[in-house]
Amino acid sequence: MKKTVQIPLGSQHISLLEPIRFKFECENETIVGVDADVGFVHRGVEQACTTKFDFKQVGFVVARVCGLCAITHSLSYTLAAEKLLDFTPNDRIRYLRMLMVELDRIHSHMLCLAHTAENAGFEALFMQIMGDRELVMDIQEAISGNRIQFDFIAIGGVTRDLTPEMVTLLHKNLDELSGKIADLIELFESNWSLSLKYRGIGALSLEEAQIYNALGPLARAAGLATDVRVETDDFPYEALGYEMMLETGGDIHARNRVRLREIMNSIAMCRNIVGNLPAGEIMEKAKGKPKGEVIVRLEAPRGELFYLVRGGGQNMLERVRIKTPTFSGIPAMMEVFKGSRYADAPAILASFDPCMSCTAK
Amino acid sequence: MLKAMINAFLNLFRPVRTHNYPAEPMPLPPAYRGLIEYNEEACIFCDKCEKACPPKSIRFFQHEDGRKEYRYNAWLCIYCGECVRACPKPEEALWQSEAKARPALKADNVNGGWFDWEAECAQSRDDYAAAKKAAKAAKKNEGA
Repeated sequence: MKKTVQIPLGSQHISLLEPIRFKFECENETIVGVDADVGFVHRGVEQACTTKFDFKQVGFVVARVCGLCAITHSLSYTLAAEKLLDFTPNDRIRYLRMLMVELDRIHSHMLCLAHTAENAGFEALFMQIMGDRELVMDIQEAISGNRIQFDFIAIGGVTRDLTPEMVTLLHKNLDELSGKIADLIELFESNWSLSLKYRGIGALSLEEAQIYNALGPLARAAGLATDVRVETDDFPYEALGYEMMLETGGDIHARNRVRLREIMNSIAMCRNIVGNLPAGEIMEKAKGKPKGEVIVRLEAPRGELFYLVRGGGQNMLERVRIKTPTFSGIPAMMEVFKGSRYADAPAILASFDPCMSCTAK
Repeated sequence: MLKAMINAFLNLFRPVRTHNYPAEPMPLPPAYRGLIEYNEEACIFCDKCEKACPPKSIRFFQHEDGRKEYRYNAWLCIYCGECVRACPKPEEALWQSEAKARPALKADNVNGGWFDWEAECAQSRDDYAAAKKAAKAAKKNEGA
């Protein structure tokens, strides 16, 4: 007689508002096998980029792949297109782009922490973190003029400049936020539901992280020192105070700690960027048509984002391939589930911060 | 833990953090990306805005007498400001205001109506090009 029972989670589930389906093979309460299914929200973005839009417009199309890492997607594409056009932006443009990406990381990490808190049964903290997240959203809104889809980056530069009022608002909000994050770190360390409940749950060891190619905060929580920000030289991260946040636990608690410490690091980096902003134009002329093939890697809030762009000297591109962090992280994610209890599955899932909108495109 | 409890107690006396939304309008940031506004008198009809627009929410309708008419779908617009960037006379002919688009009503027939308009615009251009070609051919024949 068969000893295991199959329990599905998703494709719609109240603990995760994203369409992903897991089929768990359970023995009593323990999960022994996992099968994942993604692709419920396929929108054909890659095909549209090569058949419907000019290469100058594709940056605005790929920004619609995901609401949370919109700026990372448009920046990745823009970097790829600029490499094909043999164009190097000046330092002011690079710094402004970097500032927006780091602000994006802060708000994405805060959303993930809020969901983790919610799945621990801590609704009030969920509301509180989402309320505090408004501080970052306000900065982004003031800089770009939009709340979610910033449309801040275009080929050749950025569309808006930083004014003194924005800098004042940025410093004011970031000061307030860093105090709140310090409180949150204390809370995530000392609160019973958040620390004791989450220690040792959903653990990924360093060996497993290496074998299954874990990336982003998932890998860094397991002690695997991988971060695209230090591996590429598109942006001067190390000069602006980047530090790699490593933990050894590999469990949900360690992932939360990595995210909280990365937020603190991003806040410090944002202050450095604004303090050392070089002078220069915010928009330069990038001439020509893209020809050749290029790949770009960028650290999105959830891990490595990979873009392949191929152009044949025409207005329309030949190929745009997007490999998103969640897609590359699925093998490691599935490994984490094995051996843990079914009741912990929603909490583990929330701690990965999966983004199905990105993955299915 | 104690700090959190004190905080939770104090929250009872703090003002609410949410907006009373439909009753009070949401505060918009300065230089909010709003509706695209157009001034026909300053326009030179170069069609650059139409070409630059990613969602194709700007279309020019070609009249038979050679006059062009600007058509804009505020509900299709993504407010990226690419049209203003492409415009040779920004701030005079085309600019981005801070006004929000009003919600679309059923009477506006946003989708179906716009598809009809798009088809009309494309057809009007084809007709105009064909008429121009025919006139040229007729003139050539006359000359011969």
